[in-house]
Amino acid sequence: MTEGILYSIASIATWIAFVLAVLFVRDFVLIVASKSDRQLGRSSMAGGGVALVLFLIGVVFTKPFADGGFKLPIFWYVMPWTAWIATGLLAYAIWSIGKTLSAITRTEKSSGTLNAVVALGAAVGMAILYRTDPDNKITVLNGGIPLSLATIGYVMVIFVLAMIAVGMSANSAKARGASKTIATQLGLLAGSVVFGLPFVFLLVTSFKEDKDMSAKTGIIWVPRVTETIPYINPDPTKKHYVGQFNGNQVEALVIGDENGKLKMDIFRPLSVRGITFFTTRDQLREVPVDAKVYTATVKGIPIKGFEKESLEDGRKILSITEPVSMKDKEVTLLASETEAVRHIGLRTENYSEALQFMPLETSGGLVYLKNTLILVVMGVTGTVFSCSIVAYAFSRMKFPGKDKMFTILLATMMLPGAVTLLPQFLIFRTLGWVDTLYPIWVPAFFGSAYNIFLLRQFFSQIPMELEDAAKIDGCSYLKTFWAIMMPQIKPALAVIAVGTFLGAWNNFMGPLIYVNSPEHMPLSYALQLFKGDRTNEPGLLMAFTTMTVVPVVAVFFFAQKYFIEGVTLSGFGGR
Amino acid sequence: MVLLSSYALGQSTSARSAKREVVLWGLSLGPDTKGQDAVIREFENRNPDIKVKLLSMGAGRMDPQKLMTAIVGNVAPDVIYQDRFTISDWASRGAFRQLDDLIKRDSTSDPLCPTEKQYYSATWQEASYGGKVYAIPTSSDNRILYWNKKIFREESAKLRAAGLDPTRPPRTWTELLAYSKVLTKFGNDGRLERAGFMPNFGNAWLYMYAFQNNANFLSSDGRKCTMNTPEAVEALDYIVKGYEIVGGYEKAKSFETGFQGNENDCFIVGQVVMKIDGDWILNNLARYAPELEFNGDPAPVPDDRFNKKGRFANEKDTFVTWMGGFSLAIPKGAKNSEDGWKLIKFITSAEGRLIENRAQAAWERMRGRVFMPRQIANIEANEASSKIFKPASPNYAQAIDMHTKMARYGRIRPATFAGQVLWSEHVKALEAACYKKATSEKALQDAQVAVQRELDAFYDKEKYSVIDLKAPAFLGFLGLLGFFGYFVLQFAKARIGRLERHEAKWAYLFVSPWIIGFLLLTIGPMLASLFFSFTQWDVLNEARFVGLKNYMEMFGADWKSVSRALSNVAYLTGVGVPLGLTTGLAIALLLNTASKGIRFYRTIFYFPSIVPVIASAVLWTWVLTADPGKGLINSYWIDTITKWLNIPPPGWLQSADWSKPALILQGAWGAGGGMVLWLAGLKGVPTSLYEAASIDGANGNRQFWSITFPQLSPIIFFNLITGFIGSMQEFDRVYVMRPSQDGPVGPDDSMLTPTYHLFNNGFAFFKMGYASALAWLIFILVMIVTFIQWKLKDRWVHSEISS
Repeated sequence: MTEGILYSIASIATWIAFVLAVLFVRDFVLIVASKSDRQLGRSSMAGGGVALVLFLIGVVFTKPFADGGFKLPIFWYVMPWTAWIATGLLAYAIWSIGKTLSAITRTEKSSGTLNAVVALGAAVGMAILYRTDPDNKITVLNGGIPLSLATIGYVMVIFVLAMIAVGMSANSAKARGASKTIATQLGLLAGSVVFGLPFVFLLVTSFKEDKDMSAKTGIIWVPRVTETIPYINPDPTKKHYVGQFNGNQVEALVIGDENGKLKMDIFRPLSVRGITFFTTRDQLREVPVDAKVYTATVKGIPIKGFEKESLEDGRKILSITEPVSMKDKEVTLLASETEAVRHIGLRTENYSEALQFMPLETSGGLVYLKNTLILVVMGVTGTVFSCSIVAYAFSRMKFPGKDKMFTILLATMMLPGAVTLLPQFLIFRTLGWVDTLYPIWVPAFFGSAYNIFLLRQFFSQIPMELEDAAKIDGCSYLKTFWAIMMPQIKPALAVIAVGTFLGAWNNFMGPLIYVNSPEHMPLSYALQLFKGDRTNEPGLLMAFTTMTVVPVVAVFFFAQKYFIEGVTLSGFGGR
Repeated sequence: MVLLSSYALGQSTSARSAKREVVLWGLSLGPDTKGQDAVIREFENRNPDIKVKLLSMGAGRMDPQKLMTAIVGNVAPDVIYQDRFTISDWASRGAFRQLDDLIKRDSTSDPLCPTEKQYYSATWQEASYGGKVYAIPTSSDNRILYWNKKIFREESAKLRAAGLDPTRPPRTWTELLAYSKVLTKFGNDGRLERAGFMPNFGNAWLYMYAFQNNANFLSSDGRKCTMNTPEAVEALDYIVKGYEIVGGYEKAKSFETGFQGNENDCFIVGQVVMKIDGDWILNNLARYAPELEFNGDPAPVPDDRFNKKGRFANEKDTFVTWMGGFSLAIPKGAKNSEDGWKLIKFITSAEGRLIENRAQAAWERMRGRVFMPRQIANIEANEASSKIFKPASPNYAQAIDMHTKMARYGRIRPATFAGQVLWSEHVKALEAACYKKATSEKALQDAQVAVQRELDAFYDKEKYSVIDLKAPAFLGFLGLLGFFGYFVLQFAKARIGRLERHEAKWAYLFVSPWIIGFLLLTIGPMLASLFFSFTQWDVLNEARFVGLKNYMEMFGADWKSVSRALSNVAYLTGVGVPLGLTTGLAIALLLNTASKGIRFYRTIFYFPSIVPVIASAVLWTWVLTADPGKGLINSYWIDTITKWLNIPPPGWLQSADWSKPALILQGAWGAGGGMVLWLAGLKGVPTSLYEAASIDGANGNRQFWSITFPQLSPIIFFNLITGFIGSMQEFDRVYVMRPSQDGPVGPDDSMLTPTYHLFNNGFAFFKMGYASALAWLIFILVMIVTFIQWKLKDRWVHSEISS
């Protein structure tokens, strides 16, 4: 324990030493560049000295050169949350004490002291809580970031260049601004890499072969595809044929011959797979199989060949293509003795195969899209109309009980959907709406408290004169609402429409409860089912995921303004 | 000829319209499920008037919620492919059709008709409940000991030194541990490098050891849970002891998180030398390691059992195994049960089973893969299949042979409606004992109490009186009408002018959508759910009035889960929301100082927040995969943090400690939405404040904490509240990201949220009453927090810009 604490203190010392050293060099460069300022010179010298001492402490206790290389010392405390909170409070208390000491006014002093005392007290409380559980223990992990000489060299070069830049910009405010801009841009760039990476990962994975999904060396970022060559198997029972079935082109195998009438077994497309039919030889066309190309070593000679056949026990029969001297010879090899030939490329088949997997009723997933679109269109229409007309009445019309009703409406704004979930299910069940989309979109036509509230605010901002003029002209309420008021709040409606669009596109619990058959299934739920079925084929799963994201991205790029305004308006940040 | 065939095709298309449809749920459908297709198509060929419609829907482990809502909603499928272990549960609720009458009717006339003697007795028993048959078994699986012969050979000197024979597998419990001790290897840092045997790795659970020790978890009449018996305690103690040899459960679990798949499978690369597992692993083993040197032998049994001593003196079977598998059943309310039965008969018959295997074998061969026949419940089909499809490789052939042999010595989990509870409680007991949080006896006692409660609730329900739900529904409807009438009357009486009356009429018309929605979809259901919360009702059977029982259960027997859900909410709100806010704020501050490229960066940061939540959850499940060879985060973790500090990569969604941080990370990815809010807030801070501050000499840091932060406090406060409400209702992404669709929500219920608990109780178990009580708990908590927000908003936060 004490060793661990010493190590951590020494690590911190090392890091502070590095920062001080950088500052020292910067100041030094500044002094040289501006050729003045004794004050700065003295303090920078002091800083350099302290850095040296701290660094020595670090070297003594953390032994960064122990394993013949250099290790930047780091440490970590493994402790229960009570200890973490106590540590945090302690740090805050120390910070408050520091602030109190440097404070000028009396009020600042007293409030700082109070803060420190409260934080200390809470820290002690947490520490006591920590002690109550005898299982609690703190472990210190000592470690280090190994740095190679080359890395240190790169860092030094960048550092020297940066210092030269600092020296050159010492006297120019413009240059100082530029350095700030560069720092900000670097920060933003790093941030966008972190935020963009999962998405890039999604795209790359959706184009990868199964083989590349897992690698000991880390994530594979460049997808590769296995090389194949077209090959027609001379064995008639293994040949692939293209034929006509019900007017569709299908790929099939011959599984029987009854007096010239061939019995065919369809294997592609998946939707009719397994169906057998009869045809004649002249109706069929042989198609080559994509035979995988492998390399191997046979009796010390490196060869290349394609897979003619694979045997029961996992061995492969290769037909040699290279070297020329052995061409067309066959070798039988264990799977572990061969290696597939691969080159950089995208496996676009992931997308087509993902679509082939969709149940036949969904016409390759189009029905899912259709259902989602129904939900979106009906949801947006319903919400926009019902909410705006209700909001209009609440903001511009007078009627008995209006205030009471509006208070109720406000009260239901925060109502968790969970309370009404079960009885609503029973209601829709009584209506016979289970396994339809109605329970999901019909409620949109009855308005939602939040959107009504939002639109009411907008209606209230429109000057009364417009409406009065319309009334004088003898406009009916409906017409005033429709022709005069609605156009005024178009931006707000767009925001609500975008929000509803996202909500409908994402709706998951609704379909999960109500929809069973693929004919009525929207994308979100279909994706979840697809995930359950395709855990072993991440390429297909990611391809389908990408396909469900793309339409939203498209809408986003067209209506970006409303998306962003929507966040500001509704005040909801993130999830 | 062409004409002829097109005529025939035309015929078949026109005939199709008259075809009767059989809907079959639960088969997994993929590019490699050729065998299934073949048997279905053959059925269609033989019955030209029937068309089979396949829906994958949860693939075998039929989502109970899906099936239940379908049955209750009267849109049930005709046939369902179902894990046999759950049959009794469904049967007890009256959700499946009894099949005895059909079997009796057809057993003499139809050669395809299944009868009890055609099946391994364990499989048939498991498909029955209360002496009646509810499903026909299809597949069967059983567990044996897999051991790596190569490592046994390599370590033969050491094994011999310990007095063990390296040429044969262990046969008794004592031997197994002795072998494990010799074969287990630790690294210099004390971490496991190779585990000889981990008792619950593979697929054994407590069941396997309990069966071997003749422990029964349930009394024969099914009314008493007997988990805490000396036999079961001994079995659990044995598991704990087994883990001690490999350095304890914790060490073993962290060892497991490093396991990879495919060709780097832990058994293939020899990280695990012996394991108890089922025949389902053979397919992948054969695909990635066709030359693997291994054998499958009966799992070692208690020493007394092997030596036929003590209480095993009269035991008939030396070796036993635990069997499971799938089956086909007909749900209640199936529209075409007659054709469904026809389909079941065909699929489950020996002929049907062999058609399936033949087609599957041909397909695998065509794809260049080895075919490993899986175990079948039908004895004739199974024995034929393991002969016909015997793999060429002798090791694999031996393992399949052993599975086939062991199928006759199968034991099954007790057939009870409380099967799910029994299962999840047994898992909890196992973990508690292995983590040494409780003694085996204490852990089993706790589980026994929990299961007994479930049993009692079922048998006690007669105590409560049945109520007719029509009356309260009618009363409620009358109430609504009365309310409406009162409203109209008030309006008629109101003293307002003609013009105002005209305006008010229009206004009422305009607000009517909301009023109707409020009455029918909000207040009506709310009152209904309040009413339900005093009942016990599963929709299929009559409701019973139970008074405050549901609420008492919430704070009593079920408090463990409820408090777990609430503490999860506290975690997600307390850690997740601040983290999301800080991330958003950090980006916003950077963007606010940037002069160029704001639009570009804003798009990138904002973008993840609009990715549909299910898509994002699917993506993050993959990003957070524990296997460092696959998971984005762990692949970098192992290169940095593991290298630097020797901290192994976390198990994320697979680990109780890390599943919530995983959810939080996924949420933080969407923090870009919050960033926009912050940006707007930052723009709203009056620049005069900063100007005044810089004149006073405040630096950037000081300016942030003294001006920016207080000015933004309304946003922070508002987000904390909505974050809390959001966490209470967290559902979608948890549903997608939880590692298994049944049992605890996330490891050790670490991802359970109140709404999820409600959903499970309401739609998976159809405990309408209890779920309604939960709904009201959620409602009241949310209302309290919202109320606090309204009251304290003005006191806590600086709200100059919000007003």
